[in-house]
Amino acid sequence: MRVSAASAQRVIDIVTNFPSAVFQRDVIAGAREIFDHAGYPVNVVAIPEAPARLAALPFDKQNLAGCLVITFVLPDPVLNQLHERGIPLSLVGHQLPGGRIPGVMTNNRQGITMLMEHLIVTHGRKRPVFIQGDLLQNDGIQRYLAFQQEAMRYNLHIPPEFILRGDFSPEVAAESMQKFLTHDPDFDALVASDYLMAESAMNVIKASGRRIPEDVAVVGFGDAPEAAQAGLTTVAADITELGRRAARQLIGQIEGLRIRGLTLLSTELIERETTRSQPN
Amino acid sequence: MKPLKATREQIRQHNRQLLLRAVYTGLADNRAALAAETGLAKPTVSDLIGELIAEGLLVESGRGESTDSGGKRPTLVRFVPNARQVIGVSLDNGRAFGVLSNLSGQVIAQHYDELENAQGDDAAEILTAVINGLVAQLDAPLLCIGVGVPGVVDVPNGVVADSPPLGWTNYALVERLAQQYHVPVYTGNSAELTALAQYAFGLNSDDDSSKLVTVLVTNSVEVGITLDGTAYHQGGDISGLCAGGAERLDHLLGWPAVQARTAELRAMYRESLLPENGLTYMHIHYGAMNGDPAAQQLCDELSTHLAQIAAWIVGLLRPNHISLAGPIVNLGEAFLNQVVAKTETMLWPQVIRPVIFSLAYSGNLSAIGAAALALHRELDIL
Repeated sequence: MRVSAASAQRVIDIVTNFPSAVFQRDVIAGAREIFDHAGYPVNVVAIPEAPARLAALPFDKQNLAGCLVITFVLPDPVLNQLHERGIPLSLVGHQLPGGRIPGVMTNNRQGITMLMEHLIVTHGRKRPVFIQGDLLQNDGIQRYLAFQQEAMRYNLHIPPEFILRGDFSPEVAAESMQKFLTHDPDFDALVASDYLMAESAMNVIKASGRRIPEDVAVVGFGDAPEAAQAGLTTVAADITELGRRAARQLIGQIEGLRIRGLTLLSTELIERETTRSQPN
Repeated sequence: MKPLKATREQIRQHNRQLLLRAVYTGLADNRAALAAETGLAKPTVSDLIGELIAEGLLVESGRGESTDSGGKRPTLVRFVPNARQVIGVSLDNGRAFGVLSNLSGQVIAQHYDELENAQGDDAAEILTAVINGLVAQLDAPLLCIGVGVPGVVDVPNGVVADSPPLGWTNYALVERLAQQYHVPVYTGNSAELTALAQYAFGLNSDDDSSKLVTVLVTNSVEVGITLDGTAYHQGGDISGLCAGGAERLDHLLGWPAVQARTAELRAMYRESLLPENGLTYMHIHYGAMNGDPAAQQLCDELSTHLAQIAAWIVGLLRPNHISLAGPIVNLGEAFLNQVVAKTETMLWPQVIRPVIFSLAYSGNLSAIGAAALALHRELDIL
């Protein structure tokens, strides 16, 4: 499906699964600013189902200047094929082993470090539960590893049952939290790998009669108006800026720069009601 | 030998730096005050300020107060931190990690790639691919580039004399990069640049770091020294020093050695929970805190080796601050206390007591230091 039509010039394709989802929408908006300014027409290519082969991709390779690929829309072999054909690529929120295809990512390690410091040092919490993201995605893996590392830094004993499955799905997160609460566990904080899972789990916690933040302080990764409305403490990078950075990286390659590795975007702590009371 | 005379261009460059630094540090904010502050003639100040304004490094920003004698109100000048950008890259700890900063040292972008044991030209290619990643993010002209390298660096000539991790011997790094990017390039030892970053950007927990020594432990062991804010370019790689018996320091403290020793200790202490794969310093810290015998013995051994280094440093240099840097800082405050306690047993109390010991947690200090070095050498600020 093509959202916008390409002109006769060489164009840039932004490949994504759901262009109207919050994250994708903001990345596209930031990238468009830079591409427009540089005079590159943009196609947004929406592919809800990941194609197994390059030939199945609905874009015109003759006319293609470069491709900005958002998260996991294309499987790694397809990305490698594109790269081997010399098509400039930049990945947003994804990374291939070996770093040959450059990308831009939020600094997951820094973000989780900030959240844990906030909970443990500022608010004195000692028994956090973690809701994982999708462990097939880099963001999911990196945030989980960072949580484990930070738990060790503060010498916290995290029982295996305190690690809940979430898959970056609010429904899965709510279900995992519901099941977790049936054992009446002794926990005082929740760290979720994204803000949407934090919100849904928070609703389950409240329904169980626990008070937030008095009984359970809640934090999540990433930010959006929904998180602000829920009063959720988060860490977030500016996603529109992530799109701008990705676009600059892609234009750099189109103009002849050979780039490897990742551009990292810093995160900031946004403190709201889910942790605000009872400073230590 | 006859002293060399400065050329007109060198004098002009020096005077420009003098003026720029005076504005940057807030010593003076108008032409008359700059002339008084620097001792330069007013017409010289006027010409050079005009030049710096034309280049965008300074901007006129309204009128100041008139003098007591009721003279004309002076035109104020202000430093423009976003007029240029600087790239700093470090090549330690298995990564090429770069920062893009403005002229005040504020980090605008970060970019990294794994070195994956690359050596020689392969390592240089990864370095340029990371610099390119930051060049793509520039939104002001690039002023200069700084690169931090593990090993022995000939700073004045911009040559890496010997860097075993990168496989560089007498490697003309500065010349190579300057040809490619057409801007001035500077290089220094990673630990020296880590110390410089701590000094320049106040990354220490205290302010008293006029004689700061940074011990950077990665795969190698390096020492960086700043004396009153200037990197002392005679420190560097001490990996090859032999401690106690016949072992080189990197064979005792470098990360590959720590991993190998952990495997031995795990075999000795079957109850140890230190992981066979994916070991980090944080696992060792956690194990030591919770009575894991292998982790505790490892911390004991590592702290003994580091205490020996600290004792040499204190005995020879009398620094007021020793900072431990690199991933080893994840062993935490308890480990640092072990190092301090053991160092105290090796020196007179009055010698060791005034020394502050700290952990430098930031992972990108040597890249920031590389940017600081370039900025310092190019504009004489920071």
